[in-house]
Amino acid sequence: MNWKIDIFDQAISFEERVAEVFQYQYQHNSVYKTFCDALGVKRFTSIDSIPLLPIEAFKETKVLSTPSAQLPELYFQSSGTSGMTRSTHYIADEEIYRASILNGMREFFELDNLVIWGYTPGYAENPHSSLIWMIQCLIDQEKTAQSKFLPLYTPLVQKDIDEVAKSGKQLMIFGAAFGLLDLLEISNVQFPSNTLIMETGGMKTFKRSMSKEELHQKLCEGFDVRSDQICSEYGMSELLSQSYSKGDLWFQAPHWKQVSVRNPENPLETLPKGEEGLIGVMDLANVHSCSYLLTGDKGVMDQSGRFQVLGRWNTQNLRGCNFLIDQD
Amino acid sequence: MKDVKSHIKLIEQATKEWLQPDNADLKQAIERTVEEGLFSFEDIKFQIRSLKQKVDQGQISEWAERAQLSKQLNAKGRKVLCLHAGNLPLVGFQDALGCVLSGADYYGKLSSKDPYLLASYLKKLRANDVENLKEYSTELSDFAGLNADKVLFAGSKESVDEVKERLVALNAVTGSTDYIIRTAKFSMAYLENEDPQTLRDMIESVFRYGGKGCRSVAVIVSPYTLSKVKCHFTDYVEEFWLKNPQHQKPTPKLAYQFAYNKAINRDQAWLDDFLIQATDEFPSDDFTLHWVQGDVSTLKALKAKFGEAVQTVYSSGNPIEGISTEWLSTAQSPDLWWQPDGIEVIESIIKK
Repeated sequence: MNWKIDIFDQAISFEERVAEVFQYQYQHNSVYKTFCDALGVKRFTSIDSIPLLPIEAFKETKVLSTPSAQLPELYFQSSGTSGMTRSTHYIADEEIYRASILNGMREFFELDNLVIWGYTPGYAENPHSSLIWMIQCLIDQEKTAQSKFLPLYTPLVQKDIDEVAKSGKQLMIFGAAFGLLDLLEISNVQFPSNTLIMETGGMKTFKRSMSKEELHQKLCEGFDVRSDQICSEYGMSELLSQSYSKGDLWFQAPHWKQVSVRNPENPLETLPKGEEGLIGVMDLANVHSCSYLLTGDKGVMDQSGRFQVLGRWNTQNLRGCNFLIDQD
Repeated sequence: MKDVKSHIKLIEQATKEWLQPDNADLKQAIERTVEEGLFSFEDIKFQIRSLKQKVDQGQISEWAERAQLSKQLNAKGRKVLCLHAGNLPLVGFQDALGCVLSGADYYGKLSSKDPYLLASYLKKLRANDVENLKEYSTELSDFAGLNADKVLFAGSKESVDEVKERLVALNAVTGSTDYIIRTAKFSMAYLENEDPQTLRDMIESVFRYGGKGCRSVAVIVSPYTLSKVKCHFTDYVEEFWLKNPQHQKPTPKLAYQFAYNKAINRDQAWLDDFLIQATDEFPSDDFTLHWVQGDVSTLKALKAKFGEAVQTVYSSGNPIEGISTEWLSTAQSPDLWWQPDGIEVIESIIKK
């Protein structure tokens, strides 16, 4: 297969693409092969029977599916405080990531009409941030050169905003949610009424506690936009494809990525719609690392296949003498 | 309440009678518990034998003395609601005993996972006219309108709000109710030698009750690597399981963890119903033991890292300087006054 093309080719069924990627990774990714073998899975039989590798593997070892013995130069690392083990995701083919970013944005937004401004305090210190790379990619593809990273902790300038409006393009401000709120606090500007806000769920720099609904409400008020203009991105350094929500908390994945909710006590089992469990992801853009991953996030799926992220699955409470009213 | 001494004597006598082998009520409670698959006969027997040993040693009176219970110092008239957990047989015994000893009015919400054993004890106390034993039930709603002065329970920080909300909705508490909450989740041990008795104690501390309960060891720090000791260690585990078959079985998650460990090349020992893995991560899963190669400083650093989740650190040899330790052999048979999460039960009930 020509991964760069075939992964994103809807003429090939998702199942077929999954099967091809599985065979490739089973052959070329020793970590994933060992994992599958230990679970007794040696070949593709159906999408549901594919084991999802716990995402922490990116912290513990090199997760690579490539015949080459050489480590790729490009790699992404999760953010983290000192002393924390960070995930490392080696990128054997950055063109696939680029294609995933652009195709993904096009699937949900009118990318060619967007001017992207990135505001990413807290990420800037991480030279291996996949989010920064992604925003840079979006900035680079925009033809009018109005897209940019905003300088940190600097008030927005009305003239710059007006210029975007004058160009007939739609402004999308991309960044960690609390960073965006702080940007509003130091700026006194008016945004075009069609401005899109893309929050990345980041709470990286601020230790504030706020529900997602409250956060979106504050962004709505602060940017003076309708709630359907507040968008969210669900992504992580271990995944090369993003999911997006528009105006609510329900995410949708692009066609080469499938999200499921797994039973934490048996991750091979997909839970029925409406039940909470661990978010599992099949991301074909991860063809050169591992496409079949079990995250540590808690999620729930609706009838139409959209999903919500409900925070981290807190495993620290499972042991001990917990008195649980409903389950005791 | 009678005078304090008679009160303690009354409870002691009732407890001794309850623990008699010919106590038909207790026998029936054990049978029902085993029949309904709640706990294994071996685990129940172990727990009762351990309690009997402590009671026969005079530990009820000694606990009262240690707590300095007296006419002046007691919790008479105070309403205490004990929310008992049910992860081990009779895990609520200590709270119930401590509460009635203190003189407080005892109200016990029994766990539906251990509904018979503790109930048989409470029934005995009532039959022997322990007058501050007020009510017990497996239904929380039976405590509606109680307006308790104190609520005693073991739970996670995250579960506290939910528990409080339910109690408030039932008017079981007031705005000034004091909550005594224990959050410890597991214990650690330092294993510095491989002699047979130490290994047997270690196995008991890890595998009794399927590893459940905050006194069970979930993390071992040892100068030896797991790969060096695992064959030797598993022989003793088999010996233990022959006498004490593991009652609860793990979910498929354990096999998933085994596959993951294999994939990342983490040393481990698969024991079918239990997994030993060489990792210093937080031990969140049931039926797992984390093995960390290291010295005393490693142990101290890990204890600090896991913080208040750690109940007890056990030592198989000399006490460890700088941290409080208990003997490994006492892990599953503690004194009646052991302090869950460092909280002395009677004192916490008496405290204004």
